[in-house]
Amino acid sequence: MSATELHISHAPAATRQGLAARIWKSRIDYLFLVPGLLIFGAFIVWPLIASEYYSLLTWTGFGAAKKFVGLQNYRELLQDEFFLNAFKRSFLFTLATVPLQMFISLVFAILLNNKLLKLSTLFRTMIFLPVVTPVAVIAIVIALMLSPFNGPINGLLLDAGLFERAVDFLGSPQLVLWTLAGVFVWKWTGVTLIYWLAALQTVPDELYEAAKLDGVRTWQVTVFVVLPIIAPFAVVIGLISAIAALNVFPLIQSTTQGGPFFASEVMEVFIFRIAFAPSGGMVPQLGYASAAGVLFGLAVMILTIFQIVAVRRARRKDPANG
Amino acid sequence: MSIRRIDGLSRRAFLASSSAFALAALAGRSLAQEVKNIDPSLAEKIPIADPSLDLPPADGPFRWLDSGGQKGVFYRQFFPKYAEARGIEVVYDGLPWNEIATVLPLGIRNGSAPDAFNLPNGMPPAVAVAEGWVQPLDELIPDFEAWKAGFPAGSFVEGVNVIEGKTYGLPYTSERRCSSLLLFNRKAMELTEFDPGPDSPLTWDQFRKAAAQITENSGGSMFGLIMGGNQGNRWSANLVQLANRAGAACASSVAGCLTGVDYRTGEIVIDSDEFVQAMELLLAIRDDGSMFPGIMSLNAPQARAFVEQGGAGMILQGPWNVPIWEANNPDFDFGFTATPAPEGKDGKTIVDALPSAANTMYVNAAAKNPAYAADVFHYMGTLEGQVAWGNVVGPSDPPIFPKAAEEAEMSERSKAVIALQEKQVRVSPVVYARSPGFTKVAQLYEEPTPNLANVVQGLYTGQLSGVKENLSKLKGAMNAALDKAIADANAEGANVRREDLVYSDWDPSVDYAS
Repeated sequence: MSATELHISHAPAATRQGLAARIWKSRIDYLFLVPGLLIFGAFIVWPLIASEYYSLLTWTGFGAAKKFVGLQNYRELLQDEFFLNAFKRSFLFTLATVPLQMFISLVFAILLNNKLLKLSTLFRTMIFLPVVTPVAVIAIVIALMLSPFNGPINGLLLDAGLFERAVDFLGSPQLVLWTLAGVFVWKWTGVTLIYWLAALQTVPDELYEAAKLDGVRTWQVTVFVVLPIIAPFAVVIGLISAIAALNVFPLIQSTTQGGPFFASEVMEVFIFRIAFAPSGGMVPQLGYASAAGVLFGLAVMILTIFQIVAVRRARRKDPANG
Repeated sequence: MSIRRIDGLSRRAFLASSSAFALAALAGRSLAQEVKNIDPSLAEKIPIADPSLDLPPADGPFRWLDSGGQKGVFYRQFFPKYAEARGIEVVYDGLPWNEIATVLPLGIRNGSAPDAFNLPNGMPPAVAVAEGWVQPLDELIPDFEAWKAGFPAGSFVEGVNVIEGKTYGLPYTSERRCSSLLLFNRKAMELTEFDPGPDSPLTWDQFRKAAAQITENSGGSMFGLIMGGNQGNRWSANLVQLANRAGAACASSVAGCLTGVDYRTGEIVIDSDEFVQAMELLLAIRDDGSMFPGIMSLNAPQARAFVEQGGAGMILQGPWNVPIWEANNPDFDFGFTATPAPEGKDGKTIVDALPSAANTMYVNAAAKNPAYAADVFHYMGTLEGQVAWGNVVGPSDPPIFPKAAEEAEMSERSKAVIALQEKQVRVSPVVYARSPGFTKVAQLYEEPTPNLANVVQGLYTGQLSGVKENLSKLKGAMNAALDKAIADANAEGANVRREDLVYSDWDPSVDYAS
């Protein structure tokens, strides 16, 4: 037996032994991981596995009568116009909100990051206030503000002569999704602002000073110095914002419940409607709803993978990473 | 190690004190809410009877779960007095239906479900029995047969609250309600040429004209009609009951599979002339500009509030508005009348059973305190309990004993509403009574999407066009779903036929009493 053969044949065993020994040696550390792993398993892994299992059943969610139907729920979903429309709306909503939210919050972040700006803390608080306001409260306030009967926004539009009749922002099938997108952006811009402000902290002060010494104007510093440095963060912020925009259930459920006539029904509202059948007379279909959830989850996962790839590419292009 | 102090207080002590303070504040708030919820003027209208049976010591708190609303108004007054009289602790939860649908199955599974509860909305009682959720009342309630005999005819129906000869559900409130009464602000109605009342309902033409006149003559400060448009059930209820007044003999059923079925023929009639014309009436009111703007983003309680505030003159809603308006705004001058009917027609409003399915209470099969559940059930099935119920709840959920409705303390207007409904609402045949296998059909029926409420909403918003076409399309989908549910139920041994829905001897102008 050659020395090389000896090395190859013994190496894996040695590694295994080493790993086990290392785990045993750090057993107290691993013990501390157990609660976290249990919680992760119970609240993340198990629901994922369970929903995939339920998606193969015809089951109301209560009662013992479960029937295994294989992929039938998936086949029916792909022909269900309400599912396809809700799916499309979810991504339309995301496409409408994320770029707008990122742009507005970036502008605010750049303005508020200026150390010469007075009252920046007050402005940050004001922008962040909707974030900490409960969605249910926002739903009530928005309904009052946008009311076509006596809402102040319609009052302003009519007084300004922009419209002849009051606009039914939440009741018009053509406007409702875009109205909710606007409310969503208003509510969550504060969070994206925090991300951008954090990103701006990574821009070295020396660069600002050097630019100032060179006599570069503020907008030129922003465009040619700051933005290229924080650009890689955009992918991560975009990903987080996109996932938030896809999880818009509380806002829509508390304002329109997906109406009128499904015009604002996004995927989560669709899943809720099918799974819990909140309107009388409908029978809950947990299996069907689970299948919809699995398909939607897959779509979000694919989106995430695309964005991870984009992050890596951005990092490779980032001059700071060589 | 240095300890940072805040005005002489250690950080640990500060945190501990803060936590204790927060807990105390929460507990205090909760206690305050409980105290605030007890209204002595209501509580005194609820006498507590002596125990109806020998009560064992309670095993933990006696727990009661229902869907709240007006029921909660009663039980928040009743249970503190009951708990004091029996020397036990009572926990009352009034939850929205969607939460009951989530909480109750979980509670049944893990053994923490309350002693008495409402079933999730739309869940056939036969399923709860088959799943072992509930227990029969026959052995629980003392002197059961005599107690049961005190209820009016039609209160206990096989397949509704009686399964295979055993009684499971307490039917203590009546479904003899019209959820689309025409309620109106009298000042608004003075702007019109009409003077409707309990004995003088409006015709459809008058209704439309009144809505237009209110809108026009109020100078734009008020609209003729309002509805809770983002609440689907309001659309289906209003359409069905307008069509009922035109002569369509069918109900908007809790079990979706029976909505729109005319039992004289066993056919679904939602695309009949009566339905089409009722829908066209709603569209005409919209096109006249008489409908309150933005109804698609209003729910029923919001719509109700706009009538009280003077934003809208009329609303099609149920009798529960009456005690709410009387309590919230005693100065609000409002009237009511039956749902408008076409000229020369006086069709009856149809309901599919006398007991209110939504209010029927059940005893948990694994109840820790079944004797206390039986004691309360017994009380609610006596004239004394029924009168107490009527005293507090009024016409919202009328007591199922007509005598209790007469004797209860309530406003003249409330009594007049109940009297109108006694005259106006009729009970259809109950298919489960003749063909118990239909409970399986109800369980397996998959309601088409869009359903009736959705289609009416879609037609109103203009997302769907063609009234007759869309109602016929829905009828086709409902027929297909019903036939499939019947086939599936038969495959599971239900032994039912579509012909079981035919009651050729039914006269919709009287209760079906067979």
